[in-house]
Amino acid sequence: MTDGTAGTAATQAPEENPVLYVARPMATAARQFVKSLVRPSTIVYPYERLEDPRFRGEVAVASGKPIGVGAVWDNYRGVHALNIATCISCNLCAFSCPDLCIEMVTVPGGDPKHPKKCPQIDYGKCSYCGFCSDACPEGCLTMTTRYELSTPKRSEMVYSPQKLNEVFRSKLPMNPIRLERPENEDRILLDPPLCIGCNACARDCPTACITMLDVPKPEGKPGAKLPKRIWKEPVVNDSDCVRCGTCISVCPKECLFWGSRP
Amino acid sequence: MSTVTLYSVSYDLAHDLLFLLGWILHYGPAAAAVENPNVVTGLGVLIFAAILLAASMLNTIVLIWYERKLLGRFMDRRGAMHVGYAGLLQNFADGLKLFRKHTTQPAEADHVGFYFGPTAYMVSSLVIFGILPISTGWNSGALPLSLLLALVVFSFAPLFIFVSAWSSNNKYSLMGGLRSAAQMIAYEVPLLLAVVAVVVVAGSFSLTTIVYEQQNYWFWGPLVVALVVFVAAMLAEMERIPFDLPEAEAELVEGWNTEYGGMLFAFFMLADYLRALVGSILIVLLFLGGWTMPGWVPSAATSFPLAGIFWFMLKTYLVFGLFVWVRASLPRVRTDQLLRVGWNRLIPLSLLSVFLAAALVSVRCLPVFGCVPSPGG
Amino acid sequence: MSEMWINMGPQHPMTHGLWNLRVQIDGELVRAVDPEMGYLHRGIEKISEDRHYNEVITLMDRCCYVAGMAWEHLYILGAEAALQVRPPERADYLRVLCDEFQRLGSHLMWYAAFVQDLGLMSPFLYGMRDRDLVLDLFQSFTGARMTYEYMRVGGVRNDLPPGFADRSRKVLDWLDDRFREYDALCLGSTIFRKRCDGLGVLKGPEAIAHGVTGPMLRAAGVKRDLRKDRPYSAYDRVDFDVALADSADVTGRYLVRMEEMRQSVRILRQVLDWLDHHPGPVVADRLPRWLGAPYAPVGAEGYLLKRNYPKGLGLSAIEEPHGEALSYVVNDGGEHPYRVKFRSPVFANLSAASTYLVGYHVADIPPIMGSVDVCVGEVDR
Repeated sequence: MTDGTAGTAATQAPEENPVLYVARPMATAARQFVKSLVRPSTIVYPYERLEDPRFRGEVAVASGKPIGVGAVWDNYRGVHALNIATCISCNLCAFSCPDLCIEMVTVPGGDPKHPKKCPQIDYGKCSYCGFCSDACPEGCLTMTTRYELSTPKRSEMVYSPQKLNEVFRSKLPMNPIRLERPENEDRILLDPPLCIGCNACARDCPTACITMLDVPKPEGKPGAKLPKRIWKEPVVNDSDCVRCGTCISVCPKECLFWGSRP
Repeated sequence: MSTVTLYSVSYDLAHDLLFLLGWILHYGPAAAAVENPNVVTGLGVLIFAAILLAASMLNTIVLIWYERKLLGRFMDRRGAMHVGYAGLLQNFADGLKLFRKHTTQPAEADHVGFYFGPTAYMVSSLVIFGILPISTGWNSGALPLSLLLALVVFSFAPLFIFVSAWSSNNKYSLMGGLRSAAQMIAYEVPLLLAVVAVVVVAGSFSLTTIVYEQQNYWFWGPLVVALVVFVAAMLAEMERIPFDLPEAEAELVEGWNTEYGGMLFAFFMLADYLRALVGSILIVLLFLGGWTMPGWVPSAATSFPLAGIFWFMLKTYLVFGLFVWVRASLPRVRTDQLLRVGWNRLIPLSLLSVFLAAALVSVRCLPVFGCVPSPGG
Repeated sequence: MSEMWINMGPQHPMTHGLWNLRVQIDGELVRAVDPEMGYLHRGIEKISEDRHYNEVITLMDRCCYVAGMAWEHLYILGAEAALQVRPPERADYLRVLCDEFQRLGSHLMWYAAFVQDLGLMSPFLYGMRDRDLVLDLFQSFTGARMTYEYMRVGGVRNDLPPGFADRSRKVLDWLDDRFREYDALCLGSTIFRKRCDGLGVLKGPEAIAHGVTGPMLRAAGVKRDLRKDRPYSAYDRVDFDVALADSADVTGRYLVRMEEMRQSVRILRQVLDWLDHHPGPVVADRLPRWLGAPYAPVGAEGYLLKRNYPKGLGLSAIEEPHGEALSYVVNDGGEHPYRVKFRSPVFANLSAASTYLVGYHVADIPPIMGSVDVCVGEVDR
């Protein structure tokens, strides 16, 4: 607590005036009445929609309010749109979901060994935080301006990838925000002594940015015991890597980790 | 040529109905009843009452719509607008919904009082419409004491409110009922005193006479103090903002009708607006010249009452619009403040208005102005 | 009528949420009050311990449903202190922008609810209408109207969209006009003054003893505003005054909040000007991977613990629209906070109810409680 009156705005209520002070609020209300005779500020929702660009101008002009004079709805976080064609099944959306409402389900299109998995979203749980679309490295999962979701059945709240793809095809305005990756982002690093060259990381990498390169077999003393392994090591192409961490989670020897070594 | 009034219409209707009935049924007594003036009069009164009931209920519902729309514009919104044209049928839909709802009675509530209260409140509010003249040829208004009768019936309400509040067995209801009783009793006095001023000037308790006394000038001009007192007291009697503390929803939930639902609640709601309508009508009758307009006074003998009804309703709705305006701009007062205003401000003011009215009558009777004797009274 | 207890709540128009005010009344007079909170407890602090640092933000918006952004800011400051992260300067200014818009939105909501408690409906709709403009602005840069999820550890999610500054200035001009209208409807109304003057008096020393903060404390003439006393984010770089009143009653709280809104407009104009001329990054450039700005956290816990991130405690306090809020975040090196604790200003303000309610009329309870500006979401968390 500080003393002194510097930097304070002391407020004082005006004196009461019994006659005028019944008239003043009534005059204020009457002014509003006359103004809203032209057009009240209400937006008659099912018939008029704020996101309709033609309508926005009308409200702004008629009621004198400064609303809707710009792209208020551009960044709206509504129902997701999924472009199945560009989805790389990296799992980042499901990882980043705080409500655990995203499940990766198989969609047709992948090869039998590596089925293609795309997000299925349960809107009964979703909180529209947008973490998933922020995390999506390919920009295939975005959010749209659709917000009407009510259904008579709870099961219809679960949107399959195909349904999300339909939202994508309906050409709704999409959230344009694409977050920049920080320049010196953490990378996938390898702890070489632990690696057994099993190829699991390269096999499961959604962007195929991991290549297994030969490493020279150490020329130890004859008779010295060499580790039993395949003499290959993963090398990550950092510019292609989306940092999904799939390689880390599939590595059987825990030899991959996040790091910032140049 | 006989005058066309609502009475004559309903008598003719009763007569024709009986005649038709006798003719269709070939039933002697029915046909003979046409000749019996008592039967015709009885049926005529019933038909008249039905017309009046329908008209007053219709007006009330339109009044609610009117308030919703007007209040909406005051608040920068639209009011009801989905059911019917511009929401005109919304209140009918609401009424239908309330009609369909089950009425629940709280466990420890007093059964008789719980049902008697709203019903009597509703009935007593409806009865007033049988007394108030709306236009020329309204015989009830010509009763010598019709104004007094109307006010007596009007002041029944706090009793019924208190009965229903007490019998609901709810603390909020009880507090609302007590507030209501205190408020209505406090504001009866200035209300009646303001009426006395009008009566003094008009020289009659008959509503029709009071209206015809306003042929030359409306009473609101000379009796402006009485008008202010009357409007303020009427606001309290109607329990509208700023004097709606018996049902102050912020602290008392819904006041004395907290426990009511379904049709009983609808009774309260309708009766509230019936009383608001009565209040507006009384103001128009006593101060704003009733169905007369400056320079146009319909004669009971020659004019068809519709023109009078039109002017009358126009004025009534404008007066009610004033109440809505007040509601849109003033907050609610507190109980003690309300009573203080009632006893300490309005009663002296109303006494002053009586004095002014007496002075006005005396001055008018001075030889300079030429004594104008009042025709009625 | 003899003395009796009535329950004002948990469902009661006065409560503005879910809590119970037990009132002992004697006729129309209040003899004793007993506030009961806890009906809206959702265990947000405990759930936070199970979430990544950034994911807690989704809970913060639900913590206080009228001032979500202020609570995001509160938590983020605590988390950043615990994780030893510094946001860039532009993010600081953006956070001040959010805070002050949130203060406007919250106070407009308060104005709407408070005047409606007095039985006057028009200001309710005027207040909500004008709050809508603030929400429109929030929507235009965060993408949502109430649950913003905008702040991140080490910065904010995204920069302002083009044209935002112009839109905001239009809204601020409009609001400046509206404040005059509000005063005409309230201060300029005799009945309003009769209802509010000298009501719910809570003097400075008593308020401090009960931990009452925010506009309620400033209405008692105590100059205490964390934005001035312990500046956070960019508050030391903007020019504003602390609103004060000395009547310590409901009117005083009204005056303080109205003045705060005017000061918010003043701050916002400065912040918008600064943002126009200082482009830059909005997230810190060096963040642990699992903090993930801009990406959300990924990976399994076991791999992260291996990394031995720095441990730390974070303590932060901000001047929330309702008062002083405090957050305490314990970072034990894992990917979840070990413990998150918040101090809700409204909880303290409500707990002191017996000091400013007893002795007044039952009809005075709604305006007095309205002047406290209750937000039960943050009381119970």
